[in-house]
Amino acid sequence: MSKGKDSCASGERTCPEDVQNNPGGELIRLEDLAKVYDTGALKVIGLKRINLTIRKGEFVAIMGQSGSGKSTLMNILGCLDRPSLGHYFLDGVDVAHMSSDELSGIRNQKIGFVFQSFNLISRMSALKNVELPMTYARKNKRQRQERATELLERVGLGKRLHHQPNEMSGGQRQRVAIARALANEPPLLLADEPTGNLDTASSNEIMELFSRLHAEGTTVVVVTHEEDIAAYTNRIIRFRDGQIVSDKPNVPCWLPKEDTTC
Amino acid sequence: MLIENMQMAFAAIRANKMRSFLTMLGIIIGIGSVISIVSVGDTMRNMFAELYKDVGVTQAYIGIGYWIEDTRQSDYFTLDDLQRIKEVFGDEVAYIDSSASTSGEAIYGRTKEKFDYQGIDYNYQQVQPVDMVYGRYLNEGDVKGRKKNVVMDTVSAKRLFGVENAVNRTFRTTIYGDVDEYTVVGVYRKEMTPFQTMMLGQGDTGGKAMVPYTLLTWPNDSFYYCHVFASEEVDLDEFYSRLLAYIGKLKDRSSADFRMQLAKDEMGQIDSMMGGMAGAVGGIAAISLLVGGIGIMNIMLVSVTERTREIGIRKSLGARTRDIMIQFLTESAILSACGGLLGILLGVGIVSLGGALLRIDVVVKPGVVLLAVGFSALVGVFFGMYPAAKAAKKDPIEALRYE
Repeated sequence: MSKGKDSCASGERTCPEDVQNNPGGELIRLEDLAKVYDTGALKVIGLKRINLTIRKGEFVAIMGQSGSGKSTLMNILGCLDRPSLGHYFLDGVDVAHMSSDELSGIRNQKIGFVFQSFNLISRMSALKNVELPMTYARKNKRQRQERATELLERVGLGKRLHHQPNEMSGGQRQRVAIARALANEPPLLLADEPTGNLDTASSNEIMELFSRLHAEGTTVVVVTHEEDIAAYTNRIIRFRDGQIVSDKPNVPCWLPKEDTTC
Repeated sequence: MLIENMQMAFAAIRANKMRSFLTMLGIIIGIGSVISIVSVGDTMRNMFAELYKDVGVTQAYIGIGYWIEDTRQSDYFTLDDLQRIKEVFGDEVAYIDSSASTSGEAIYGRTKEKFDYQGIDYNYQQVQPVDMVYGRYLNEGDVKGRKKNVVMDTVSAKRLFGVENAVNRTFRTTIYGDVDEYTVVGVYRKEMTPFQTMMLGQGDTGGKAMVPYTLLTWPNDSFYYCHVFASEEVDLDEFYSRLLAYIGKLKDRSSADFRMQLAKDEMGQIDSMMGGMAGAVGGIAAISLLVGGIGIMNIMLVSVTERTREIGIRKSLGARTRDIMIQFLTESAILSACGGLLGILLGVGIVSLGGALLRIDVVVKPGVVLLAVGFSALVGVFFGMYPAAKAAKKDPIEALRYE
């Protein structure tokens, strides 16, 4: 993380107003959203009546210790889970009480996931992995291959299209995962501890990639417990005991260079 | 999407080659045994049909019923009766004789052989063709004149005379108590397949010869049965019921008093009996398919558990319940269908090899093969249903967390 810190501290880069505050339309709105886990004997409250709005084009970090409710929020934001109460408007649609197949469709079209453990399918090449969301979107083979190739080139893996995940480094795998997340051009990129399994250099690369994608207009939400990672974002939301305890804008310490190479 | 699913299925099957093969083995053995058993059955039926064609499917024996107690002399057939039938039915009767046969000891020099004699009319050659290699067949003169001439096959000639060309040789034999000299006028060759030899019998001893049937009706010219070959063109059921009615009238009896044995019916009985046997044994073999199917279900359950995380990933990327279901169903169907295909190769291979060794033309019906493949795929779908449903039902969060 040293590079990011240093560049921030030395003040080589400044953060232009437009990147910091470019309020687009509303992408996410949570209204009195609560999640209760009913384990039979006792009820565990995961989230307590959250209200939150994230606009298009924001780069947000959600922070908190384990058990703070950030994973619960992540699952709900990612449409993997449904809230017990309240509303979740994603891109103008209330997805809080959709059926699981409807949620599959939403995940496919609206959300790109990046996981801590990459979650690539090991028997499949990078290209096939990136094609997968498009397969479920019923795109034809030619479209899929063209788009997947383009995306892998964009994340700097143009020469590794046919490599299997186990033939790649952690950083490369995570870049394949990011390419996959972008496959159906979702409005929201959701990353859950995306650098948790990576060394510092790879972590920086990945966060720089996210910054670049953000600069290109993608809305990025990163769940993390590392301050270094959160430092890349424009807005930091802190969670504790299932509640938002702070929600502050942040001046990102890294901005995309002119010649972006990963 | 279907192609993708099939590619994914093949990739998954390849990823665990040994396990996939062992799983398929159940289906391979099941399909292989069903196909070979059914084919062996079909081959046997075909061989019997061929055999009957050789012996003559159009033939029948007609005689007074064994259940008739007050049999009269007039119930027996005479040469006149045969002549009348020939006149009334004309071309519909291809051949008719008294169905007389007997046996006796044939003596030539120091050689003694037990011989079976079959009484035939001179045109028997038309319904039971044989290749004459030496001399001639019996002719009208032999039959009408009750000449003591015989034709025999090469094997019998060799046994009695030591040579195949026994034309004009004479031997002594006893027929109906009368010892007489008989002359060989012709020798024919009858090639038999191993199966025919087995079924029709050709013992290590004894011989066979054909004599004019008029000799065997001597001296009182009446006989119990008449032996008819219908023409190939007639409707057998219709013709024989007419013939039976005519015989009833001729003998002043109800046609129900006569017993008629149709070769066609006998063949039908054997055919349906063998069909039933093949079906029953095939059914037992099909149980092994069930076992194979359970094997597939078992391995699919293991596979679903192993790939829980993959299922979670797919779901997070937008796979619907149905997508996951179809993916795993495709996999089990392909696993099973591949087993089916290998099973066909095994079954057809075994049957063909057996056929080649026994020099038999084997019958493998395409319908049976098609049915087997279809059935094995169906087994795959049926036994894949539960594991696939289990996979599709998984909660994405739980599945993603699975280690």
